[in-house]
Amino acid sequence: MKSYFLKLVLPAFAILLAVGLAFATENERVAQEAHYFLPGQGWQTVMVEDDCGASGNEACEYNGIQLYSERDFGSIALRKP
Amino acid sequence: MSNKGIHTKLATLSSLLLTILFVYTAVSKLVHLDLFQWRLERMPYVAPYATLISWGVPFLELVITGLLWFRRYRTMAFYASFILLGLFTIYIIIVLRYSDSIPCSCGGVISALGWKDHILLNITFMVFALLGILWSKKQYNMQSHQNTT
Repeated sequence: MKSYFLKLVLPAFAILLAVGLAFATENERVAQEAHYFLPGQGWQTVMVEDDCGASGNEACEYNGIQLYSERDFGSIALRKP
Repeated sequence: MSNKGIHTKLATLSSLLLTILFVYTAVSKLVHLDLFQWRLERMPYVAPYATLISWGVPFLELVITGLLWFRRYRTMAFYASFILLGLFTIYIIIVLRYSDSIPCSCGGVISALGWKDHILLNITFMVFALLGILWSKKQYNMQSHQNTT
């Protein structure tokens, strides 16, 4: 009975607990810094979700202004899937 | 309680904790596979292997979890857990030297941790894996000793 508990019930319980937790918790989207240029005010920095990267179908924008990875037009123009 | 009983229970406890970690992170990665792959594509050094890693790591985690519950393969599974967590920790340390603003490409709420917290979490579970190796070896030695006497 004890062996049955250790071999079957305990791992099954642990697996069910972990699967339940995986579905119950949201995959945290980590914020990252991005930069945009505002004429007259220079480069501004904002926090964006980490979906923004070097490739993707859509441009990552802040109030309609393209975001860049660095404070430089030569840096990566951020895009998202 | 005999020593053999203690070592068996402690090894089982380590297996239990590693099972929860690996199943949780593997399922979280598989549920959000596209997001996991997307993050990997943006990570330094591993980006070219993003597709392979995005399927391989959760698969490996689930295989290790399975092996942890077969007494015959338990020690091997503890070694595999230790190596997998160790490789990931080394990678984090290398990434931190490269940049400290790279988002974590890990499963579930663990991705909310900072890199330094993540190293701490990995080291904690590496200690469990190491203790699991020691305890399952002691358990095996005691069983061998009992069989020869």
